[in-house]
Amino acid sequence: MNLGKQFKEGLITNNPVLVQVLGMCSTMAITTSFFNGLGMGLAVLVILTLSNVIISAIRKIVPDKIRIAMFIVVIAGFVTMVDLLIQAFLPDLAKSLGVFIPLIVVNCIILGRAESFSYKNGVVASFFDGIFQGFGYTVVLLIMCIIRELLGAGTFGGGILGPVNAAGTHMGIQIIPSQFPIGMLTLPVGGFLVLGTLIAAMQWALSKSKNKEESK
Amino acid sequence: MSSEVKTKEKVNMDPKYIAKLAITLFVTCVVVAGLLGGVNAITADKIAAINWENTQKAMKAVVAEPDSAEFSEALENTEAMVSAAKSAGGSLDSVYEVLVNGEHAGYAIKVVASGSQGSIEMMVGVDAENAVTGVSIVDNSETSGIGSKVMANDPLPSGVGVLDQFIGKSAADGTLTVGSNVDAISGATVSSKGVTTGVNTALAVAGAIG
Repeated sequence: MNLGKQFKEGLITNNPVLVQVLGMCSTMAITTSFFNGLGMGLAVLVILTLSNVIISAIRKIVPDKIRIAMFIVVIAGFVTMVDLLIQAFLPDLAKSLGVFIPLIVVNCIILGRAESFSYKNGVVASFFDGIFQGFGYTVVLLIMCIIRELLGAGTFGGGILGPVNAAGTHMGIQIIPSQFPIGMLTLPVGGFLVLGTLIAAMQWALSKSKNKEESK
Repeated sequence: MSSEVKTKEKVNMDPKYIAKLAITLFVTCVVVAGLLGGVNAITADKIAAINWENTQKAMKAVVAEPDSAEFSEALENTEAMVSAAKSAGGSLDSVYEVLVNGEHAGYAIKVVASGSQGSIEMMVGVDAENAVTGVSIVDNSETSGIGSKVMANDPLPSGVGVLDQFIGKSAADGTLTVGSNVDAISGATVSSKGVTTGVNTALAVAGAIG
């Protein structure tokens, strides 16, 4: 077990979104305001960590043939718990994330890590894998939120900062005057554009650092 | 279990192995269901309270006297109400009786109509004479910057909010139609039509109550 390496993998070299290209649906759909990205990222982090630990703990007693079914039961259980808790204690977040919380059940990051990591590794390693992979996911969501919100609506910190509108939501701090932003970026198509650009930048950076290592 | 199971896998129908799989899955499901039951017991009341509070907030926005109005629990949706809603083009979610100082003062009717990007959930208030007292949007997924103008009650060229123009309308005005007795926000005709259908639905339901 190597914590530093695991951390680097989760955040950069094996980032769940930018390198493994998992969990696209939620990444594209909810990254329109800072609060959404933070809430979704943390929800996935918590569920991923819990399910990783449990799956790792039961990996020796689960018959191989039904492991996927077991994974899904465990994951669905945690997702439903988190969903209920968010609805009860963070109603604003529940309202803006809507159906995407229950959909974490089929978020490939969680099933992917269960199958490729926690089913083969110990409880402690799986715990940290959950935290680091979840953290990598959260960071990418936040970057996308900041880009899309700033360029698409001209604001920063929507959902937690700034003036409150009639519906009781914080509108974010206006940084770019409201007639200039590219409204398209807050629409689904903007999600594709921003994500594509980020993945390309990531691949470029990774191949560059690889070349450097080889030339040494 | 490993080597033994592998030889038996060829047979594939070994009852012991299948029973083991079934029991493992069953036990897991029971444990998970038990835990969920526990979490649900903690959160159910709280979620119901939050939902009721939101519904009340939406209802207060559509009645004539929000400060003194009180609301009943949801009334039973009768066959007549549901079919009236259907024939007006929308669907009925629930009806709440509005009471001012304990006396009947109309209904708050939650209806669903289709907009340009999915359904629009809206609350329509009617007074005791079944004339509209207010319209508010509970939930929608209309296009940001276009249909969202209708949802946000943006003013029409006449200066009246697009949702406020329905105030005072009743079944006596006939079926409300965009272009004849309802104005649309330019560029957002489909969303305006959706809202209009919603109001028609609510009026039809109000007419079918009692």
